[in-house]
Amino acid sequence: MDSLPISAGSPAKPRRPEPARRVRVLWLAALASSFAASGPAVAQGQPKLLEPERAFAFSVQALDDRTVEARFAIADGYYLYREKLKLSILPPALAGPPALPPGKLKDDEFFGRVETYRDRLAVRIALDKADPGRKVTVRAESQGCADVGVCYPPQVQTITLALPAPGAPPGAPVEAAPARKSWFN
Amino acid sequence: MPAILSTRPWLRRSAFAVAALAALAAGLYFGGGMSGDGDARGRDAGALFGVALPDTAGREQSLGQWKGKVLVVNFWATWCTPCREEMPEFVKLQAELGGRGLQFVGIAIDQADKVQAFAAELGLNYPALIGGNGAIELSKTMGNRLGALPFTIIVDRAGRVVHTQLGRLPEAQLMSIVGQLL
Repeated sequence: MDSLPISAGSPAKPRRPEPARRVRVLWLAALASSFAASGPAVAQGQPKLLEPERAFAFSVQALDDRTVEARFAIADGYYLYREKLKLSILPPALAGPPALPPGKLKDDEFFGRVETYRDRLAVRIALDKADPGRKVTVRAESQGCADVGVCYPPQVQTITLALPAPGAPPGAPVEAAPARKSWFN
Repeated sequence: MPAILSTRPWLRRSAFAVAALAALAAGLYFGGGMSGDGDARGRDAGALFGVALPDTAGREQSLGQWKGKVLVVNFWATWCTPCREEMPEFVKLQAELGGRGLQFVGIAIDQADKVQAFAAELGLNYPALIGGNGAIELSKTMGNRLGALPFTIIVDRAGRVVHTQLGRLPEAQLMSIVGQLL
């Protein structure tokens, strides 16, 4: 709008902002500077971080009467250490140690080459025997960090679910922690 | 507008209240990311000084013994790479400024043997106390909402928390804060 050519009737008179517009511009400038000021304050060593259970969202699905699948949905910018991940069944009912898929290699200054998981992870866990209808608890011990340079203490999450009947479709995935609804998170 | 406000006090008052509420809301909104993420500034560090934790030799050490110093309490762990990365800077500053009243204290969310091994490897020249999950809770009461590491608290000589930091505390920033307190 401001760049529209000045009408031919007043060629010598430069157009000046009306007071109302000037006030509006000032308002916007003030608003913009308050945004700018809030930016560095938040970034200054206080990174906005997810709760660990949301950064590493754990869920389990019963695939059949003797198999469950443990999953982690890992938020962007976060990772889990393969070596620190321990999956078990309570009461103990593992057919064998769960086979963790290979992770992404990361060169760690102190720990050398470590394997990490990002994005998604799914691990099938075979139970020692078929036990339809039985309730089992899947326990996951995990430890991860955020790329911004903070690490979360090891956390233990458990999910209890019922195994489906033989031939029945897989059960619905069960989430460890429902996503929290908040304006600020 | 100003003329109207000055002639009608009730309007001025309500305008003031609206402005205050707006400022509060803006603060809540824009400060959302920080709420709890390390904003214990200005708070009295009394809770911290009341804490006693064992050192790597198993001797109970009260944080209160360092009252009156410029205290930098660093929550860390051997399994936390960003924690290990920043500790050599703390060792250096402890050596350089310890004589002027700067005191670092590490609280490890870890096992004593692992802490001892890392302390020896690093040549740690300040106390390393062993804290369990209780120490994470302590850091939460000091503003570390998520209990993540590293988390660092700077306390002035009068026992007031002047800065809390989640994540690494760059040396330049640490020096600019501590330099004013020594």
